[in-house]
Amino acid sequence: MIDAISKTAQLPELQMRPAALPTTTKSGAVGGFDSVMKSVATETVNNLYKSEMTAIAGINGKATVQQVVEQVMAAERTLQTTLAVRDKAIAAYQEISRMAI
Amino acid sequence: MIDTLRAPGMIATAGMSAQSERLLAISQNIANVQSVGKTPGADPYSRKTVSFKSEVDNLSGLTMVKVAEYGTDRSPFRVELDPGSPAADQNGYVKMPNVNLLVEMADMREANRVYQANLQVFRQARELVSMTIDLMRT
Repeated sequence: MIDAISKTAQLPELQMRPAALPTTTKSGAVGGFDSVMKSVATETVNNLYKSEMTAIAGINGKATVQQVVEQVMAAERTLQTTLAVRDKAIAAYQEISRMAI
Repeated sequence: MIDTLRAPGMIATAGMSAQSERLLAISQNIANVQSVGKTPGADPYSRKTVSFKSEVDNLSGLTMVKVAEYGTDRSPFRVELDPGSPAADQNGYVKMPNVNLLVEMADMREANRVYQANLQVFRQARELVSMTIDLMRT
C-alpha cells in the first residue's frame, strides 16, 4: 500500500480526541482555530488508516468488495473535505499577507 | 449521530451484500441443475433459497437488510427415465433436482436489478456529498 499514508497513522500525536472548544483556551483566539484544524487533520488520518486496513482485508479475502468500496469512498470524502478546508485556510492567510500596511 | 449522507452508503452496501448472497444461491442452483444422487433412489440436489429480513444496526440505529436464512426448496423432484444412471431405481427412473432454469434466470435478473438500484443510491449519495464539498472551493 501507500507507505506515506500508512506511516502517518503511527505518529504518536495522532490520536483521536475531541478538539478543545475555543472558549476553553486561555491564550486568546489563536488556540481555538489551531485545535479545530488539528482535529480535522486527525480525523482524516484515522479515516484513511481505516480504509487502508479494510482494503488490505479485502485483498486477503476477509472483507467483501462492497465493504472495501464503502470505506475507500468514505476516506475519499474525508480527504476531499480536508483539502477544501486546507485550501480555504491557506487562502485566508494569503489574504492577510496581502493586507496593506 | 451518524452522518446522514454517509448512511445511504452504508445501507446500500448492506443491500448489495444481501443481493450477492442471493446470486450465490442462484449460481449453485444453476450449476447443480443436473446433479443426481449417488445410490439408487437417492435424493438429488435440492434447490437453495435465500430470504431477507430488515434489521436495526445497533451502532448507527439504521435499518439494514440482512440474510434471514438459507433454506432448501422442499417442492417435489422431477423424475426422468434413465436406466443407465447409478441413481436409477429398479424401474429405471432417476430423481432430478427441483431446479427450474427459467425461475433461476428470472431470479438472477431481479437480483441484478436490485443490486444496480443499491449501486445507484450509493452513487447518488456520493455525488451529493462531492457537490456540497465543492461549495468550499472557489
